[in-house]
Amino acid sequence: MITLLNKRKMRTLFISALICLLTLSGKGNPGNGDLVLLQSLKGSWLFSIGINEEWISPKFNDSGWEAIKVPSPWEDQGFNGYNGYASYRKKFTIPSLYKGRMLYLNMGYIDDVDEVYLNGNKIGSTGSFPPDYTTAYNAERVYYIPEEYINFDASNLIAVKVYDSYDRGGIVSGEIGLYGGKNTVNFDINLQGAWKFMPGDDPRRKESDFNDGMWDEIFVPAKWEDQRYRDYDGYAWYRKSFVWTGNNADEKMVIMMGKIDDIDQVYINGTFVGSTGNFPINGRESANTGQEYDAFRGYYLPSGLLKKGQKNVIAVRVLDTGGAGGIYEGPIGIISQAKYIEYWRKIKKTGY
Amino acid sequence: MKTKHYRYFAFIVLALIFSIQANADNLRKIVSLSGYWKFSIGDDISWAIPSYNDSGWDQIAVPGLWENEGYKDYNGYAWYRRTFKPGDIPANTTIYLMLGRIDDVDEVYLNGKLIGKSGKFPPNFESAYSRTRKYIIPFESLKEDAENVIAVRVYDSYLEGGIVEGPAGIYVDEDNELLNLDLSGKWKFHTGNNKDWKSPEFNDEDWKLINVPDYWENEGYEDLDGYAWYRVKFQSPKNLNAGDLYLSLGKIDDVDDVYLNGEFVGNVYDMRKTFEYNWNGWECNVRRIYKIKDGLLKPNGMNTLAVKVHDDQGLGGIYDGPIGIMSAQNYREYRNEYHSDQSFWDYLYEKFIR
Repeated sequence: MITLLNKRKMRTLFISALICLLTLSGKGNPGNGDLVLLQSLKGSWLFSIGINEEWISPKFNDSGWEAIKVPSPWEDQGFNGYNGYASYRKKFTIPSLYKGRMLYLNMGYIDDVDEVYLNGNKIGSTGSFPPDYTTAYNAERVYYIPEEYINFDASNLIAVKVYDSYDRGGIVSGEIGLYGGKNTVNFDINLQGAWKFMPGDDPRRKESDFNDGMWDEIFVPAKWEDQRYRDYDGYAWYRKSFVWTGNNADEKMVIMMGKIDDIDQVYINGTFVGSTGNFPINGRESANTGQEYDAFRGYYLPSGLLKKGQKNVIAVRVLDTGGAGGIYEGPIGIISQAKYIEYWRKIKKTGY
Repeated sequence: MKTKHYRYFAFIVLALIFSIQANADNLRKIVSLSGYWKFSIGDDISWAIPSYNDSGWDQIAVPGLWENEGYKDYNGYAWYRRTFKPGDIPANTTIYLMLGRIDDVDEVYLNGKLIGKSGKFPPNFESAYSRTRKYIIPFESLKEDAENVIAVRVYDSYLEGGIVEGPAGIYVDEDNELLNLDLSGKWKFHTGNNKDWKSPEFNDEDWKLINVPDYWENEGYEDLDGYAWYRVKFQSPKNLNAGDLYLSLGKIDDVDDVYLNGEFVGNVYDMRKTFEYNWNGWECNVRRIYKIKDGLLKPNGMNTLAVKVHDDQGLGGIYDGPIGIMSAQNYREYRNEYHSDQSFWDYLYEKFIR
């Protein structure tokens, strides 16, 4: 009688039963993304309504600006009823003790839209300024600070452009401060920061000579919903070029891609290097577990792929099937296999 | 909600089917390989070399998920290594290395030599997480009185990873001891179908070699579904002359036509008519055992065995032993061990309704 149920059907049933179980069992957070507070930046900042490109420069003389308490809605600080653009500035020192560590600036909750600069370099942006205004008042701002922007043991300037459409405005709440990743990743090249981004799908986008000059700028790691793509689900590509100054060609290298929501394919110089999850084939859905978004990505690179002293291009194809999307959690960068083994052994020993 | 319940039901039914078939093999452990192994994430083919110094490596429990051993959230390559000394090994029998379930892909090296693999490593990744790893150990690769080194290269795409579920060890299949002539080992193999391939005169010199028993997916034919032929030539010893003889071909995925010296010997559907060996609708679980007609086997001469296999989908081939020829007496013992007139539905009825 059971012959009526052929093997193919039985296998399909078995796989779906397994998927069901896997989905239920779930998987917790790794702790890789956990950050520790190094220096609080709550307190007195300088403030001016309006925005101006000169105001993001460390050279700009802000002695005439008003002091304002951060975090707090500007309505509570003497700017009651003001809506529109405003700017914040603060100078602080980063000790060289933190050299080699992954550093993040937590700007808390900003109502509604912001762009944040360190020493004149943009390090993050959430929401979208007019004319394509979208609010992101309920997103916590955590921006990675590329080390090359930092003046160690010297003054560093944070400059923030804010736009508020109505009601409360400004850096309204949160644990504002400088944070460090618990586990230092000794990258050969750190790839966190500004990338190129384009929704949609096209296989030519993986090629190193593809022209991405017209593409949008996006910060990695962060959900694309917080970066002007508020309701976007579907395909998108990320691209970044970098000059490889690392080790000799035969040393084994790994690209750490953190966590991506939901599934991804990663290419370097046009060559496929790794993937998590199954993309639809010829428009037909492929089987996925629904847990891909939570998988930590580390792809081992074929030897000789990175061109020393030259421009290399990484291209990431992402498919988000709903909810949050994009390369949303680090660490992201390229590391030698030997150092990658040490990284994981340290996680085993310390738990993070 | 309905779908969910349906899935649970399906899972329970399947779990039952698997539990019924779980004890189908008659394996005896010679060496246990569970316990602590040396472990490192990463990938380097030099780690297969027996003399590689792994003293700086981490330790990990086998079987177990590496996620539970401090490598929570790790995905990608990792290697396992350990040594063992088997002591006395029964002569003239097939020895298996069993590593249970490995999530997702593996390659196993014994004393530096690749002895088995399952699934596909990237870039054309294909998981084999649900397969039980059972690899034939070539007799010449095993050292009886010295340390042997096993190195297992594992790749996990995501979710659970590692040598996740036992048993792990060196085993002999006691059923093989019922064989009067063991025919497992290297056979000739060709994909496709041609009626001439059953003939003893056919020249199979340019055919590829394949291990029997093993899934052909593990032997380099990853995406093969459909027809393929196996051939082996063997010398029949004089003492195999007396009384009735039976040809055992273990388990085949999915269906077979068997020819000895050019003559049809049987196929899986004959098994259904006559013996009902574990017949439950899955051809791939039926133990093949065919009576050899009087005078067909040439004692003290060269014989040709040719097996046509058709695989519907998924894994395929002559994948499980015992493979060889049995005397009538051994055949009765083998038959008593596995014979069951019970169908799956009878089993369910007995267990839950009566």
